[in-house]
Amino acid sequence: MRKKIGTIALVVSLILSMTACAPSEKRYEASFLELFDTVTTVVGYAKDEETFTEYTQMIYDYMEEYHQLYDIYHDYEGINNIKTINDNAGILPVKVDQKIIDLLLESKEIEKITNHKMNVAYGAVLKVWHDYRTEGIESPEMAKLPPLEMLREMSEHTNMNEIVINEEESTVFLSDPEMSLDVGAIAKGYATEMTANYIEEQGFENGMISVGGNVRTIGHKVGEGGEALAWNVGIQNPEVESEMTTIHILELQDMSLVTSGVYERYYTVDGKQYHHIIDPSTLLPSEEYQSVSIVCQDSGRADAFSTAVFNMSLEEGKQLIESQKDTEAFWILNDGSFVYSSGFEQFIKE
Amino acid sequence: MIKRNDIILGVVALLVALAFYLFFSLTKSDGSKVEITVQGEVYETLELSQDQSFLITLENGEYNTVVIEDGYVRMSEADCPDKLCVKHNKIHYNHETIVCLPHKVVVEIVNGEANTVDLIAK
Amino acid sequence: MKTKKIAVFGVLIALAFVLSYIESLIPIPVPIPGIKLGLANLVVMTGLYLVGEKEAFVLSLVRILLVSFTFGSPSTFLFSFAGGVLSCLCMILLKRSNLFGMTGVSIAGGIAHNVGQILIAMLIVHNVMMVYYLPFLLISGVLTGFAIGLVGSLIIGNLKKYHVMQGKGR
Repeated sequence: MRKKIGTIALVVSLILSMTACAPSEKRYEASFLELFDTVTTVVGYAKDEETFTEYTQMIYDYMEEYHQLYDIYHDYEGINNIKTINDNAGILPVKVDQKIIDLLLESKEIEKITNHKMNVAYGAVLKVWHDYRTEGIESPEMAKLPPLEMLREMSEHTNMNEIVINEEESTVFLSDPEMSLDVGAIAKGYATEMTANYIEEQGFENGMISVGGNVRTIGHKVGEGGEALAWNVGIQNPEVESEMTTIHILELQDMSLVTSGVYERYYTVDGKQYHHIIDPSTLLPSEEYQSVSIVCQDSGRADAFSTAVFNMSLEEGKQLIESQKDTEAFWILNDGSFVYSSGFEQFIKE
Repeated sequence: MIKRNDIILGVVALLVALAFYLFFSLTKSDGSKVEITVQGEVYETLELSQDQSFLITLENGEYNTVVIEDGYVRMSEADCPDKLCVKHNKIHYNHETIVCLPHKVVVEIVNGEANTVDLIAK
Repeated sequence: MKTKKIAVFGVLIALAFVLSYIESLIPIPVPIPGIKLGLANLVVMTGLYLVGEKEAFVLSLVRILLVSFTFGSPSTFLFSFAGGVLSCLCMILLKRSNLFGMTGVSIAGGIAHNVGQILIAMLIVHNVMMVYYLPFLLISGVLTGFAIGLVGSLIIGNLKKYHVMQGKGR
């Protein structure tokens, strides 16, 4: 039976498209695994597959540049990236692309707004966690927690003011030699936002870009009769093994949805899971929520806020979100209950 | 006992049945498929309607096992370090995917039933 | 005469009930919902030709109620109800037209029964794809209808010989 289902759906949609004013563009979807160590998915409309592939290629090329510039683990020939800045901490200023300067300026701004709960200068602390987590995932029986003294020592080298940005010279210098940058909490979202703006200018009017679940919608979805509909974006159920994949479905147009959750990346020590979102004030994984979702237009802000709010108490998080224009949040607490910011529910699809 | 009209009725009904059957089989599409890609290359395409367990072996000997059951697909086993693919919910709707990032394995539903959700934020 | 009618009616209901039960014990080799042998239809047919249209209709309803409450669930009731009513109405119409013999009427009843069930199923599960069953339901309706019609005309021929409903004006 199931096999035959496609037929009727096809027949029905053909009939619909014949009766209504025929949408001349078809929906396509493509994904790639090469960038930001995650899955990038592009959904959109184009008149044929070739046109869509061209757009996808443009998105890939544009985003690849960001991927290389914001990388903290790899060197790329002829490119000064964030790793180069880290490698030259305390040594000398590094001449970098404007895209890095812009990201760091935006990060500084958000660090102020979020009361230091999203801090790209925490590379030294995050690296310790990263190393312990990677080892713990590779050999689970050897999994250990990083010693607190080690984390404390590293947290001495996390002062944002030690990032010296010279906009005229286009250089970045870390004046503390022990310090390093980790832009993981914002880079994906920021790059997604920049790419979305770029591809829109290129004539890609309606679509979606998801970089590892950081979803940015562009324009609207096109219904079967050619009518404009909102994109339906689901919020991942933190119980990833559950039958129910999503908690809510949101209707979004030209908006971003980013969710930070405990289920994304973690390792297990003595039967307890330790995820990757580290609270700058405790230096430990924040244990307040199962996930925090942010809706706002700018995908970079959504990304950074989702991490920052994850590291805040509910009170503090609500205060931040309500103070931000057109920004909404949704918390899933540890007991499974839901908390919404004042305007979040308007996005929920009935 | 049997009138001529009875026979005609039966024959007409059978002919209508045949006509419907022919129409359905001619307009039939290929149905939902499960497309497995490794490193971006199509590795295998399976029928979603065909229950089975399928082993993907990578060049370096690593593996993933895909199970198709009652129209749903899940990753039942894998020797990747994070096992996120094994923990992933089972998929059924068009364009849903299970990705094993360490192995660069993507399992995707193609030509499937449309989903109400366009993408999932995670 | 009235007493006799009631007695015959009761016997027919009991028969239909038992035949429905027997039918539920016979496995159907094809996995298609809605296909049935329609043994109970034999009784409805007999009622239709021997007693009358209204009685046959009531007989059909009572049987469905009884069977659903005894062996079935609310959903099986819906299915059999849709199938039974459509089938019964179809048979009454065809009989009235005087164009068809018992076999023809029975074939129409068989088809209508299957189609009625599938229509309700499509409504309930909101799945248009069930229309794919249609050819199979038509074929099975023709076959079972034909068989039931043959047997039915034999039975009624014999019953008439014994004047079961003698004196009945219809």
